[in-house]
Amino acid sequence: MSAISDPEILANSALTGRSRLSQLSVSKLVIWALVLFLCVTPFALIIAVSFGEKIEGASWEWGFSLANYQRVFVGANWPEEVTFLYLQNLYYSLYYAVLAAILAVLSAFPFTYLMTGLSRRAQSAWLVFILSSLSLSEVFIVMGWDVLLSNRSGLPMVVKETGLTDWLKAVGWFDTLREWGLANPRNVKFKTSVFATVLTMSYLVWPYAVILLYPPLSRMDRSMVEAAQTMGAGPWTVMRTVILPAVRLPLFGATLLLFVFLLGVYVTVSVFAEPAKQTMAVSVYSAVRGATLNAPFGAAQAVILLITAGVFLVLGQWMSRRAAT
Amino acid sequence: MTGMNRRSLLKSASSVAGLAAASSVIGSPLIAQERSLKIGSYGGYFEDSFKSHVYPAFTEATGIKVESVTQPNSADWLVTMTQATQAGTVPADLSLYGRATMIKASRVGGLLSPLDVKAMPATSNMDPYFVFEDTTGAIGVGAMSWFTSMVINPEEVDAPASWAEFWDSSKYEASLGLPRNFNALFLDIVAATFFDGAETFSTKDGIIALVEKAAEIKPNVALWWSAESQMEQAMKNTDIIGGQYYLDVSNLMALDGFPIQAVFPKEGNPQDYGSWCLSSLSDKGDEAAAFINFTSDPAVQALMSRKIGTAPLVPQSKTDLTDEEFAFVSGTPSIKPAYEAYLDNETFIKETWDKMLAGA
Repeated sequence: MSAISDPEILANSALTGRSRLSQLSVSKLVIWALVLFLCVTPFALIIAVSFGEKIEGASWEWGFSLANYQRVFVGANWPEEVTFLYLQNLYYSLYYAVLAAILAVLSAFPFTYLMTGLSRRAQSAWLVFILSSLSLSEVFIVMGWDVLLSNRSGLPMVVKETGLTDWLKAVGWFDTLREWGLANPRNVKFKTSVFATVLTMSYLVWPYAVILLYPPLSRMDRSMVEAAQTMGAGPWTVMRTVILPAVRLPLFGATLLLFVFLLGVYVTVSVFAEPAKQTMAVSVYSAVRGATLNAPFGAAQAVILLITAGVFLVLGQWMSRRAAT
Repeated sequence: MTGMNRRSLLKSASSVAGLAAASSVIGSPLIAQERSLKIGSYGGYFEDSFKSHVYPAFTEATGIKVESVTQPNSADWLVTMTQATQAGTVPADLSLYGRATMIKASRVGGLLSPLDVKAMPATSNMDPYFVFEDTTGAIGVGAMSWFTSMVINPEEVDAPASWAEFWDSSKYEASLGLPRNFNALFLDIVAATFFDGAETFSTKDGIIALVEKAAEIKPNVALWWSAESQMEQAMKNTDIIGGQYYLDVSNLMALDGFPIQAVFPKEGNPQDYGSWCLSSLSDKGDEAAAFINFTSDPAVQALMSRKIGTAPLVPQSKTDLTDEEFAFVSGTPSIKPAYEAYLDNETFIKETWDKMLAGA
């Protein structure tokens, strides 16, 4: 009582309070400055570059031109000629990312569910294994699948050696594969194809899918599953009516995150996708680092890709909020 | 107290700096003898060969030490060097530029420093075409040359007499590997095979005709490669049975027993070459001239042909290369790329080409 009324102590505590406040605001300021520098500066730079002007035969210069954005939508020779080449690239960016993200989550889900049913020891062993596989870079993974899908040492060799190729030729399905671009006159081929691209992309993010799904699945109350089973529900009914509704949101969130991550995949697409089905990330790279040195056009495409990813994230947020209420 | 410490520290620091400065003045004649040069070359086998065969011979001949710098292909390197020049320090004094990239660097301006041709008498051995001059002077001197060649798998097909055979789907359906980039000289092959050569590039209609002809080969192409290693693996794994690839690498692969054979059809193969270019920020003009003079010597050109697999820029008669050695790295006829056209219409050619590939 007397301590509180003592003016000196009161002043002291006020002082420490103020210095704590200023300390807090300084550290906050530093963090904000860091965030601004690390996140906003690159974006600002890309946006600024995207308005630059290309000098034909040389490099580019700063400017304020909307020509690069116009080119993304209708091509460089508009209005004499219209091309949707870059929108087609954007379409394939979305196409591969959606397919591969869904495939990764769909295949990681049963695996993770079964994993959470194992003993603690086995679970942590699996998690460590999966985490360590993240250290493989995209380049290594692509190299690996490149070998696995090649004619002399991979899957096509297996198909040929087991006589499957001859059988396919005998029953006439081989010609259908040739029409689909999955065979040459000698054997089946998987490079380049949508199949190889999506497969490698989903393989690339599969460990992330497991890691994203592990917390919600391991937190899930198993007694609900047991209750459903004792009441006579079969495994499929349990999955459909108990497990899936419980983890609906994490499943959706994981797919969305992997989708956005996959929008920027470069090596996989440039190796496994034919030029007709390559993505905006490849087009951005060839504009910026390729022979034309057209950084502004690359930046404009990057901005469009960024906006697209943003739109999908906002839509996803909105949908999951609706689903939650 | 702390102030005192700080001050005395500063004092001692400045005296150390002074001492260092003094010693550098005293030692300067000694240091000047240690002449050196940073030289960029394409990484991997190429750079390794330079490091073990060319640079040591140069250091022995001139006393100038070489620091090897790894550079990616020259278009990528131009981006790096442009940014480095803006930042004020460059990673290499002398580096390799393809002719198209060199012309581009010249048009960008401020990146390259003119070379002193008088200090390089050995350059008279090569065709003046390989000494490139712009308004500032000679900014690039030919270093070595290379062919991208027709290749086939000799176990599957016979050597074609003409590039035109690659358009034949009954033989090559989904079986070829061609470069993906518009400026990888495949259009020059199309021009030499079906049109009037480099002349055809001079009009937009000509370019469209070239690209339309190239479009007809699409059903036969299984791989549009962008990285060299893709094509190498695809030939080794027999994913494809023919295409366009570097002559020297193809011959090396054949020596290693892989099913690949380089072919000079009647139209020939495109010949490209690299130039030594000096960075505008470098003060090693004399050392650079000494090095270029060294590599322009027919004996060194022959050494590079033998050890690195590049085609010499001097006539075979001036070198001691045997016919067999010469055929390993070179051949006739050679298709000269339409360099200027690729630059003057670059956006148009790139987009027309990309559209063709994308079917858009």
